[in-house]
Amino acid sequence: MSRTMSLERRTALTGIGFVTPTILIIALILIYPIIQSVVLSFGQSSIDGSQPYQFVGLKHYAALMGDGRFWNALGVTFTFTALSIPLELGLGIGLALLMNESFKGKGLARLAVLFPWALPTALNTLIWRWMYNSDYGLFNGIALQSGLVDRPINFLGDEILAMGSMVVVAVWKTSSFMALIILAGLQSIPRDLFEAGRMDGMSKWQEFTQITLPLLKGPILVALIIRSMDALRTFELPFNLTDGGPVNATESLSLYAYKVIFDFLDFNFGAAVVVVQFLVIFAMSLIYVFALQNKD
Amino acid sequence: MKFALYGAVAMATAMTAFAPAVAAAQELVLSIGSRGYGGMVERNIEAFEAANPDTSVEWLKVSDVPGDSRKLYVTGLTAKSPTPDVFAIDVIWAGEFAQRGWLEPLNDYLGEETIAAYNPSFLSAATVEDKVFAAPLYVDGTHLFYRSDLLEKYGIAVPKTWEEVISASKIVMEGEGNPQLYGFVSMWAKIEGLFMNWLSFINGNGASFFDADGNVAVNSPEAIAATQTMVDMLYEDRIVPDSILTMRPDDARTLFQQGRAVFLMVQDFVHAPLSAEDSPVAGKFDFTRNPYFEGHEDAHSTAMGGWLLAVNANSEHKEEAAKLVEYFTSYAAQLAAAIDENRAPGRTDVYAAPEMTEAALIQKFGEDYAVGVVRPSAITGSLYPRVSEVMQTEVTNALHRQKTVEEALNDAAAEVNSILGK
Repeated sequence: MSRTMSLERRTALTGIGFVTPTILIIALILIYPIIQSVVLSFGQSSIDGSQPYQFVGLKHYAALMGDGRFWNALGVTFTFTALSIPLELGLGIGLALLMNESFKGKGLARLAVLFPWALPTALNTLIWRWMYNSDYGLFNGIALQSGLVDRPINFLGDEILAMGSMVVVAVWKTSSFMALIILAGLQSIPRDLFEAGRMDGMSKWQEFTQITLPLLKGPILVALIIRSMDALRTFELPFNLTDGGPVNATESLSLYAYKVIFDFLDFNFGAAVVVVQFLVIFAMSLIYVFALQNKD
Repeated sequence: MKFALYGAVAMATAMTAFAPAVAAAQELVLSIGSRGYGGMVERNIEAFEAANPDTSVEWLKVSDVPGDSRKLYVTGLTAKSPTPDVFAIDVIWAGEFAQRGWLEPLNDYLGEETIAAYNPSFLSAATVEDKVFAAPLYVDGTHLFYRSDLLEKYGIAVPKTWEEVISASKIVMEGEGNPQLYGFVSMWAKIEGLFMNWLSFINGNGASFFDADGNVAVNSPEAIAATQTMVDMLYEDRIVPDSILTMRPDDARTLFQQGRAVFLMVQDFVHAPLSAEDSPVAGKFDFTRNPYFEGHEDAHSTAMGGWLLAVNANSEHKEEAAKLVEYFTSYAAQLAAAIDENRAPGRTDVYAAPEMTEAALIQKFGEDYAVGVVRPSAITGSLYPRVSEVMQTEVTNALHRQKTVEEALNDAAAEVNSILGK
């Protein structure tokens, strides 16, 4: 008896030994900054050291509530997420179904689909910024020469067009990521389910809605959560495409936090923005998990 | 608790960036952009080391993008790093850095005579509470570039006022009949450059950011009228393309270089690409000081930007560091930079040098800087980035016609006052 205990204990200790460094590293690089951000957001201090940390409670959160620019950034972030995620999901499912079929040049097609995802966002965005340019950009060149418009369209200079332009870049880039996750799910569906369906006289559409989609729920959930989290903290895209403009029509929460922290050097207020953003993302993920699980 | 502010990442960045310097504490570390000051950096370092054999200088090359190098500096300075000992700062950082106690005052090191030689407008941006915190390295302000060939073709004199710019634009645009040709382009995207641009406009109409009593005056009648002119150039006179609202300096430069604009108002660095051999407008353009409004001939309307050299307040070699600043900003070094690198000197006496009579371009830049206006960064100090952001936002609101000019500037005044705690 005592021998088994000691073996179990030894196994447990070895296990703990293996896990400890990982936990320590995670604590250091992940948990510590989160706690620090929360601590910072409840206090007032000055980065040059002239003013020591002082607890001020909810002062920065109260200021946030009355800060029009914060609400604007929150609205921009939600709008961007609400517009881009459904488009990405629809396109992602379509692409995945296409890539799941066998046809000539399938490898090449997969490569082409993955290409936008493989390029760094910053680079993507720069390319798009040129294409959108109203004086020497590709789209205006085509539109003007074909006589579709007689004045250049100011894609990034108009509030609504700028948001639309940003969504297009996001959908173009990340639909393939959705497709990839969904394709993996598709390939794990046993072939014989479809054969059985065919024997029962199911149409292609019935096959899709009654077999494919229900079995894809897991991968779709994963893709949705990952992409929504990305969209809710989107930074490089507006930073490089519009710098939050025109006026603040494309200023996301991350971009606002970045400006508060690195341009205004107001770490405390910036921390409050980041904490709120963290809570929003957390809540969003919970909603997804519950919404998709309850239907089982 | 203070440590908390820096965060693990910031510390890591700072340590990587400054590590080589820490290891060799005996030498000075000079931090300056890798392209900004051209070939002058290495030349000056060699000459300085030859004259001061017991001091060696390591050049820490930083980004030429001001925002990037600012982040690097702020990280290091926050952590009270003693290096870099000397660093190049954008003119708008001087007030903020000085107020945060990051810069060593230079008055005792440089002497009155040297300080008196600096361009007074430019120096005012580095002066906080009568102390000089940085020395001018070179000036890079905005000018009005124009197509001399087109003005000549239509018999138009080089415009001095905004009224003349607008009428000249209309004549040329109509005469050329080219829908791809615009009258005036500049950087009106929501960037720091927009604030510079706007200051040029309002100062040209006799307004200024602060009035004589030190009150925020951004919504004075003169400022409103000048801003209205910007809006009208866009929507009424139609001499400015819609795309100006997303233009940064290089976007505007490209359009002008393609021969698609009569006037261009940006910083002097565009002169080199515009006059390059393969430039379509080479030999067809010239520049003059920024325009003013009728009746304001004396207005200072050339918005000044540029770089200064400062000494880190935590440097362990302040004496030597100040010497290095003195050397880089000396008469001889600024003269060489002007002749060989086309850098407009921050010392006014350099323009009178006999060698400078040949350097017509720099002479002309210098004439414009004599009527220069700097951004209110010295007075607003650490609050400058927020003030600038408010002004960029509100001017953009006016330019987009989201608000009337008066509403936008009234809001701007209220916000600036609340930021400054007035």
